[in-house]
Amino acid sequence: MLNRVVILLAGAAVLLAAAPAPAHHAFSSEFDVEKPLRLHGVVTVMEWVNPHSWIHIDVKGDGGTVNWMVEGGSPNQLLRLGFTKNALLPGMEIVVTGYQAKDGTNKAVGRDLTFADGRHLFLSESAAGTPK
Amino acid sequence: MIGRCLVSMGLVAAVGAAPTTPRTPDGRPDLQGFWTNASITPLERPRELGAKEFYTEEEAAEYRKKALVPLSTAERGGTEAHYEFTQFGLDRSQAQIAFSLRTSMIVGPEGRVPSLTPEAQQRNAERAARNKGHEFDGPENRTIQERCIVWGNEGPPMLPPGYNSFLQIVQTKDYVMILQEMIHDARIIPVDGSPHAPAGVRRWLGDSRGRWEGDTLVVDTTNFTDQTNFRGSRENLHVVERFTRVDEQTIRYEFTVDDPGTWTKPWSAELPLVKDKGPIYEYACHEANYGFANNLRGARAKEKADEAKTEKKDPK
Repeated sequence: MLNRVVILLAGAAVLLAAAPAPAHHAFSSEFDVEKPLRLHGVVTVMEWVNPHSWIHIDVKGDGGTVNWMVEGGSPNQLLRLGFTKNALLPGMEIVVTGYQAKDGTNKAVGRDLTFADGRHLFLSESAAGTPK
Repeated sequence: MIGRCLVSMGLVAAVGAAPTTPRTPDGRPDLQGFWTNASITPLERPRELGAKEFYTEEEAAEYRKKALVPLSTAERGGTEAHYEFTQFGLDRSQAQIAFSLRTSMIVGPEGRVPSLTPEAQQRNAERAARNKGHEFDGPENRTIQERCIVWGNEGPPMLPPGYNSFLQIVQTKDYVMILQEMIHDARIIPVDGSPHAPAGVRRWLGDSRGRWEGDTLVVDTTNFTDQTNFRGSRENLHVVERFTRVDEQTIRYEFTVDDPGTWTKPWSAELPLVKDKGPIYEYACHEANYGFANNLRGARAKEKADEAKTEKKDPK
């Protein structure tokens, strides 16, 4: 039995203003950097939910079709970038590169999301035009 | 497309509101509307800048140019399995920014948070030792941020949350309401001369009471919980915030924090709140916090894997 201890508000994640935008939660415990993946599938559902959006896709493989859940960014910010409920509809074909969940289920974090023709899903014009 | 809010905050004189300040029917400065506190100014001044409190306009322009270039997580030194910030509009190059000439939000020649008291250092060390290795034991072990209770920068004092950096102020004669998009709480602040709640009443965001000092709204907050942790502070944290509408587009937001059990002296900071067209959106954090359960499941999966490894190595 694990010893349960109440952590006194480790909200210590008081973030320096100049630091990169923070994630809502600890990614390193949710997703496995040792399990990178690339999924090519068809959107079944786009969940516009807080604190993170989730995209469900059907991926065809040798063993049949598997439904994956892919975690994305804050829906509030996506809306501000001009994306709406109609931006990503069931049936659209997308490619996801990211990392699989540590619990081994068919969930992943979407590090980079593109349409089948290579266009980025959510990247705004200003970011897309900036060399990296 | 998000437009950049290029507000150049000059050295605004430390006096009340400007003559053209919008006012409410009862004659107070009108603080109402949507505002952003997104910032590229660090809370603490980089040490190499010494006592330099302000950039020149030219230096500030150069700093902005460097700070607003979109960089991937890896380029920013991030090591976690994460999506690219630029993919989802979470980097500052795509945000509206409330610019300032300040080199740090913390004012004064030091520009940094004062030293922790020996008591606070011991408290922090004990807490860290107690929590080590138990971070994922159960839901209560996770941060209150992850648990959707209070966002780390929600305050008071209110600091930029990193993204979705917007707030709304609604004002009546006797109350001021401040709603921060991150994370969801509305601060309902009486401005009616009433005293603080009794000492036994403790709140995550404390008990705030407002008053007008000339054209500045002063908000005094006490009665935090013993789990409140603003940079190591505890339940005796005392926050005084000052809101002054310096022009049509800007509120000067200042705060002073004190907790004798935590810092060797009080400290103060200042940042602008810049007008935004709004609206702010609901951040219903518990709506679908799948990541929280995924985190715990990930930890259980790791424990099983570790147990299997141990059994294989040392069969009984």
